[in-house]
Formats: sequence, C-alpha cells, structure tokens
Amino acid sequence: MTPLRPASHIPMDTLLSELAFRRREAEKMGGEAAVARQHAAGRLTVRERIRALGDPDSFSELAALTGTGAYDADQTLRGVTPAPYVCGTVRIAGRTTVVGGEDFTVRGGTTFSAPRRKGGQGGLTEDFAYHYRLPLVNLVDGAGGGVGSIEQRGHTVFPGVHGFERSVALLSRSPVASAVLGTAAGGPAGRAILSHFSVMVRGGSQIFAAGPPVVKRSLGHAVDKEDLGGAAVAVDEAGTIHNAADSEADALHQIRRFLSFMPQNVWEPPPVEECDDPIGRYEESLRGILPKSRNQPFDVRRVISLIVDQGSEFEIQPTYGKSVVTMLARFGGRPAGVIANNPMVYAGAMDDRSARKHVRFMQLCDTFHIPIVFLVDVPGFMVGIRAEKRATLLEGMRVVHAAAQLTVPTATVVLRKCYGMAGMATCNKNGVDYKLAWPTGEWGSLPIEGGVAAAYRREIAAAPDPTAKEAEIEARMRPYASPFRTAEAFAVEDIIDPAETRPVLCGLIELAAARIHHDLGPRRGPGGFIP
Amino acid sequence: MANGEILAPVSGSVWKIECTEGQAVSEGDTLMILESMKMEIPVEAPVSGTIASLTVKEGDPVEEDAVLGVVTT
Repeated sequence: MTPLRPASHIPMDTLLSELAFRRREAEKMGGEAAVARQHAAGRLTVRERIRALGDPDSFSELAALTGTGAYDADQTLRGVTPAPYVCGTVRIAGRTTVVGGEDFTVRGGTTFSAPRRKGGQGGLTEDFAYHYRLPLVNLVDGAGGGVGSIEQRGHTVFPGVHGFERSVALLSRSPVASAVLGTAAGGPAGRAILSHFSVMVRGGSQIFAAGPPVVKRSLGHAVDKEDLGGAAVAVDEAGTIHNAADSEADALHQIRRFLSFMPQNVWEPPPVEECDDPIGRYEESLRGILPKSRNQPFDVRRVISLIVDQGSEFEIQPTYGKSVVTMLARFGGRPAGVIANNPMVYAGAMDDRSARKHVRFMQLCDTFHIPIVFLVDVPGFMVGIRAEKRATLLEGMRVVHAAAQLTVPTATVVLRKCYGMAGMATCNKNGVDYKLAWPTGEWGSLPIEGGVAAAYRREIAAAPDPTAKEAEIEARMRPYASPFRTAEAFAVEDIIDPAETRPVLCGLIELAAARIHHDLGPRRGPGGFIP
Repeated sequence: MANGEILAPVSGSVWKIECTEGQAVSEGDTLMILESMKMEIPVEAPVSGTIASLTVKEGDPVEEDAVLGVVTT
C-alpha cells in the first residue's frame, strides 16, 4: 500500500479537479440507466424537480459530496454514488427557500446511513430551515429506511431515534410544504403529513401508513398501491394530503402558489403584493347572486371570486370536506384566508370532514398571521344517524374550540344562514367580533321552522288543527327573523349592501395589518400548529 | 362507459322526482331533488343514457350514497 501524502502537498489544481470530478459524480445521480428508468416512469429526477420548483438558476446545493466512494486498491477514486437525497436552497419568486428530496435513482431513495443525515426527520434540511427561519419544501419520493440496515448495525433501532421533534418544532416557525412525487411510506410519508401544505400527483403518486406488501402480510388482502394510497383515497376521501395535482409540474407550481401567500417565518408579516384590482370595486352582480328561494343552493366560489383580488384564489383541499370551501386569496394585495360554507354540498352543513378541514385551515392562517374572512351560510352541524356515527358533534366542537383560540383578526360576513354551534365556528369572540351581514342574513340557535315544532309542542298538539297552529306560530315569529331587528339591537354589528362587500373587506384586512405587525412571532397558546 | 348508479349526495328525503323510467338523460341533468337540511338538493345524472330504473318514490327517506336508480348508457 502506497502511503498517502498529506493533502497539503497535492497541488491545488489536482485538488480542484478532484472536487470538480466529485461534483460531476453527484450530478449523475444513480447513473444513466436509473435516470432513464425514472423518466420512463413519467417522473422527473430530484434535480429536475428542484430546478422546476425554483426561479431559474437559483439552486444552491448543500452537501453535494456526500455519497459512497469507490476506490481502487491503491486508493485511487473511481467514482462516487451520491447519497440518495439532494438538498439546498432555491429562490421562489425571489425569496430563499430550503428544498430537499429523495433521489429515487439511487437505491430507491432509501435512507442514507451516515452519522449525520442530509434529509429526513432531523436532517440538515430541517435544521437549515429552522436555524435560518426559512420555508422548507420536501420533495417526497421514497419509503424511508428498510430492514437492510439492521444487518449493518447488528441491532434494531427503537422507533423515534430519528424522531420528528425538529419537523414538529419547524411547523410553529416556518412554512413547510411537501410534494409527494412517488410512493411514500414510513418517514418520508410522516414528513409529508407534518406540513402546512401537501400535494400529490393524481395517478402518479401514493402515500400510506403501509404499502401493499405489508397489507398482504398483515391482513391477507391483495391491494393495488393506487387503490390503497392514490389521490382518490389520500386526497379526496381521507384528506391526508391537501391537494391533488395533474402532473409533477402542477404539484410544484401549487407549492409556489402556496408559498406566495406565506411569510418566510412567523416573525415576518404575510407578503403584500401589488394589486391592480381596485379595492373600492363595487360588484353589483352580488346583489342578485343568491337564488330567489332560500331553500336553493348557490355557488359560493363565484361569490369569493367577485370579492377577492381578481384571480388571487388558491383553494386548499378542494375535493375534501366539500361543504366548506377554504382558500388563500388577497384583498388589496394582502393575503387572507377565506372560509366559506358551501350550500351546494350537504346544504352547507358542517360534517366531520368539513370540520376537520376548517380547523386545519384556521390553524394555518393563525400560525402565519393571515387574517380570516368567514363567508357564512351554514344551517348547522350535519344531522342524522350517519352524521352521529361519524362524531360530527365532536369534530364540530373542535372547530368551535379552534375558533375560540384564534389570535389573528377575523371578519365575518353572513350571506344567508348562520345557525347553531356551526355558526359559532364562523366568528371570533376574542377579537372585536365584527360580524357583518347581507340583508339576506338570518340566524339563531336554530331555524324557526322545526324550532317552533319543538318549542311549542304542547300548544301545537292541543290545537284543533296542529298544522295550521304551527304555521300560525311560524308566521307570527317570522318578522323577528329580519336581520335589521338584530342590527337594531346591536347584536350584529352592521348590515351591508352585497355590492360593497369587497370595499368593506379590503378596509378590514388593511386595518388588520397594523395589529398583525405587532403580533408577529410564534402563536401563543398550547400545542402550536397541529396538522 | 359503464352504467351509472344514481347516488344520493346527502342524507334526506326524496322531495321531487323529475324524470321517468325509460327517459333519455344527459350527464348532469337534474333527475330528482332531495330535501335535506331544509334545502333543495339536486341529484344529477351520473352519465348520459336512459333511466333504467328508479328505486325510490317521492317522500322516501334516503341515506347518503343510497342508490336511487340506474342510468344505462
């Protein structure tokens, strides 16, 4: 064996050419054949994904040299297989963001066993985002560690040695967005969930607690990975992942869109953009947007699109818990979260899923000091045997609980119905509790119809014609349901012309800005952000 | 294209049936209206085709996802 000379005796040129060689090796990822296989599967490589995510030429790589070197017997370097994780920073719309993702072309993106991890929970990317208070984007394409490492170690590892503590702590400091771009289980799947926003490719990616082989072994069921954890399950049915994308490019675009509403961290205010849509824009069409009958649904997304800065909406969880609509949007260039009941699904009633979605979205807004606009048309919690079996009351009260803990300014506009405890979830009693209503607003602990039958049961039963008696009592009470009577009593703060909804809300969101500026920092109260 | 089951989008009662067996329908046509949470909830044709059967009548209570009929393509 030739003794190695100390590195200082090697000419700088030689050292630099080795550095350049090692960097080129990293660029090759798993090699030509593996990259071709990734492309043939309709997938981008992790480096292509990072380039597509960031502004042009903005990728600044971290830890590119990590890998497994192959050496001749005389210690001459033959090549380096890079670690199956690529990370660094990119700029997104000019703002620095940490990004990292498994490299599926290297050993299927499995965990790289080194004293320090590049990616994964507690890895360098999370530390970097935490330390420099930067957003983090996870490009998930792997199933985490396998049992193969047991033989290397000679022992099994207690769960949580590589724990999620840093992933969790990050959620109360910086925005975390994850794209699931392959099949995710284990640690990478866990980190996709521990995000403020997650997206997966419909038909192109899957996520689950355990994949088909484990299901087969545990239950004896043969299942297809798409049936088990495709977007139809993980996004539409379960809401595990927020949004589905048509392609990898769309998924990365959605992450850029999401981050455009987010501050870099909780110590900064949400980013204000130039706005050419006049904040004073009256929208007369809103006067006729509700159907003539109060028993018919309407398209609340249309209402939102007429109120917010034109084209600024970014909907979160559009296919899950559809009786409520949750969107990030802008008013006069300032980000706000819009939570609107959707009368086209369950008549707008809050069910277990829409309740869960409602809570997650409020927490997101509250964590990043984004004011919330509630557009209310809610008949109450969903009722019936099916709803009770799904713990609608529990999930619904969790919304009330979360609303009661909001610290961010809110504005409530009752478009039509606002009933019961589901109605309570649409305003914030801790702030100025500023509730506005269109003249079509109606509210109560429960609607007069039905409510009358219960409250006046004996009187109705004793009447010669009970149906007529019930109608008579309802007719007697109907005038009291006028929103103007409530405004007279100062139990709702104001009634507005639907056409002036945008100017009024733009004004309130602008007012919120000063308050938000003074309230910056981690959200008070226990728990922080829970996904 | 497979036959389409007409499914109840929400628990409620059948308020009004606006189609008959044997009728030709287009995807998205309103076939019946449920009453749920005091609202009129339209039930749309899942596919274009002919109404092969209707398994409910006006006034019937239905649970979410109940089959209300079938459209054959």
